[in-house]
Amino acid sequence: MREDRIYRVALFDSVSHVMKAEKILKEANIPYKIIPVPKHISTDCGVCVRFLPEQQETVMEALRLHVHVSEIHELLR
Amino acid sequence: MSELVDAKGLACPEPVILTKKALDAHDEVTVLVDNATALENVKRLASISGCAVDVTEGSGGIFRIDIKKGQGSRAACDASPEWTHPLGPPHALPGPTIFVIASGVMGHGNDELGALLMKAFIHTAIDLEHRPDMMIFYNTGVKLAAHDSGVADDLKALEEKGVRILVCGTCVNFFDLGGKIGAGTVSNMYDIAGALSTAGRIVKP
Repeated sequence: MREDRIYRVALFDSVSHVMKAEKILKEANIPYKIIPVPKHISTDCGVCVRFLPEQQETVMEALRLHVHVSEIHELLR
Repeated sequence: MSELVDAKGLACPEPVILTKKALDAHDEVTVLVDNATALENVKRLASISGCAVDVTEGSGGIFRIDIKKGQGSRAACDASPEWTHPLGPPHALPGPTIFVIASGVMGHGNDELGALLMKAFIHTAIDLEHRPDMMIFYNTGVKLAAHDSGVADDLKALEEKGVRILVCGTCVNFFDLGGKIGAGTVSNMYDIAGALSTAGRIVKP
């Protein structure tokens, strides 16, 4: 079900931005997942949005005018 | 005549377990330990159990603990050793560890934030050092088991790792989620109450 593969995560400036991004991605039917910010990226107690690398453009386009993505990281899961 | 328990050189939680066993069979127990941790744990067991405790420090760092049943604040010496030993590993407790997901949100205050936190929590569960044996979902918690919840894949992965997942059938019906459950077993109150009543630990995020 859950094979090891490369994902990417988008980090935001605040939790409310994550929520906003989640709403937008959900409405746009773009596959995403809310996960805790991986420890190797940041040790603060945050959440971020995980998505497939091939979806990055779609994700960024959907969010572009609405919420600022602060960082994008590659992630092996 | 006091029953003697020689717990010198024994590591936690052995001294506590031996003391408990001795107390089950005898009214007076004398325990010998050789370290402060064992001393504190045995003392705590005795006082929680309502026994009178008297400690004498001997030579060479050896403590003699005299325990008398029924002379402390509580009538019976019936404490189990496990919960008197907070530093023990969680799985030393008898019975399964159950994560109870009683709501779709984690914490009270802001439900939007709570929903986000709960998703992050469930995603993290698979990587925990002490993974649950079982997870039980009820009330709005059942919505997390729906296949479009965003965590159904996490729950499936947990199932593959051997975590039993029970989803309250009454709740599934109430929220009209029949046929939409993507992980876990739709279950009933008999199974849920039965499982909860055998739990060694209940974790309720």
